[in-house]
Amino acid sequence: LRSLTLPRVTCPNHPDAILVEDYRAGDMICPECGLVVGTGSWYRIDSNVKGTHPSTFLLQGTGAASFDEFGNSKYQNRRTMSSSDRAMLHAFKEISNMADRINLPRNIVDRTNNLFKQVYEQKSLKGRANDAIASACLYIACRQEGVPRTFKEICAVSRISKKEIGRCFKLILKALETSVDLITTGDFMSRFCSNLGLPKQVQMAATFIARKAVELDLVPGRSPISVAAAAIYMASQASAEKKTQKEIGDIAGVADVTIRQSYRLIYPRAAELFPPDFKFDTPVDKLPQL
Amino acid sequence: MDDLALERYFDDSIANDSSCPLEEELAHQAAPQQVPSPSPPQLPETSGPGGKVRDVLDFSFLPDELNPQDDRSSKTAAAAESQAAALDVSHDSGIVQDSSAANLQQDVLSLGLGRGASPFCPMTPMTPMTPMTPVTEKSGIIPQLHEEQSRLAARKYARVVQKLGFPARFLDFKVQNMVASCDVCFPIRLEGLVLTHQQFSSYEPELFPGLIYRMVKPRIVLLIFVSGKVVLTGAKERAEIYEAFENIYPILKGFRKQ
Repeated sequence: LRSLTLPRVTCPNHPDAILVEDYRAGDMICPECGLVVGTGSWYRIDSNVKGTHPSTFLLQGTGAASFDEFGNSKYQNRRTMSSSDRAMLHAFKEISNMADRINLPRNIVDRTNNLFKQVYEQKSLKGRANDAIASACLYIACRQEGVPRTFKEICAVSRISKKEIGRCFKLILKALETSVDLITTGDFMSRFCSNLGLPKQVQMAATFIARKAVELDLVPGRSPISVAAAAIYMASQASAEKKTQKEIGDIAGVADVTIRQSYRLIYPRAAELFPPDFKFDTPVDKLPQL
Repeated sequence: MDDLALERYFDDSIANDSSCPLEEELAHQAAPQQVPSPSPPQLPETSGPGGKVRDVLDFSFLPDELNPQDDRSSKTAAAAESQAAALDVSHDSGIVQDSSAANLQQDVLSLGLGRGASPFCPMTPMTPMTPMTPVTEKSGIIPQLHEEQSRLAARKYARVVQKLGFPARFLDFKVQNMVASCDVCFPIRLEGLVLTHQQFSSYEPELFPGLIYRMVKPRIVLLIFVSGKVVLTGAKERAEIYEAFENIYPILKGFRKQ
């Protein structure tokens, strides 16, 4: 067994840290700050020859793990490859970037890549911007995984307008002959509430309020996002952590007048909307009336 | 009959101009079904060239609240002649008539647009004297653009273009699209509808508050709203609209909100 001797590179910020080797690309990564200190191509050859594993000299991995499911190499070397699908690879990179901005897990990214591949090969949406297709695929993947993101959230990490993403979304559903489930208010509670820093109790109350409001049909025709935002507003105003409509509107991507409209619809029956075990900081009759 | 009177009117007014008469290649369509047609507006006898301008058009079929404006417009018409002198000397008589007609047009247009027509009554610009069908409803006039009337309106536009001096002809008039709106008078559960009719429906509250139902048999797109209002579009024939509504109504009844 060969063990790697410490190469002469060190992390500039942490000279004492022992660098961790990332076997896939031959990188040396500092465990303290995550800085990639050296790539495979820079691996110091003059270190102890006995200690260098031959594969780290390669720019392109050849192990089983370095090919993704399509048979293409996962990690791009500097040489031009598969020019015919370069657009697709570029799109995958873009998808990865977008997903990274909102911290989406790998399974969603994989699903997005699959969807994009299917759409790309079908060529029915060929005239559309690849970025638009990619954004729409990302939206669909999030929906299919049961963790929908609003169009506005996808817009925030993409350069494409909501209108175009919406159009591509509908086209892709048609092209792939799939469908997606309808969004519900509960899908967004966890994310919005934690972004606002609301405690679990308030989040659970808001989820209950929104669900009850929809069941009682107090808000016909309102977008679930608006209803969710109004429910969060009501729950937070009844608790110790009061949030303004503006703050909630900012996080949810809803205008504060929209929250006001939906709030006005649920306010009259506020008492029955709260969960039975809710601890009121502000009683129901003292809730703000807008 | 409206037609002929209007034709006469236009023909008289063009009598001075050197522009060629409008050629009608298309045979006149047969008069269509029952249309609540008003008494045709009395057209003034245009007295010769250099025309007395529009003189007083009979706007009596318009509802009351429009009458004061109607007075204004008829005053405008009457005053147009005196304005004629004030107008640019370079205008010859033919064009004087045009600009006064334009004044009238503006008045009629502002009458129409100012009224805040309900969102389900798409207003299209009315050229002067397009007969507006009065409906006995408190809300006022709802223009029912009858297929025949739309053809008439198209002819008038062709006239206008012709009067501007272009060699205009009126050929191959075809109705390309018909839009209808209606109300089923009960609220609808769109979520239920999208679950059962997935292959036809698209309901994305984030994108549009209504459900978009693409019917296959008559190829019609219906916008269905929670309130029970339905908009049908994409029809080439009136019968398609009726058929589509007959098809969708029992489905909607099944998703009535209790």
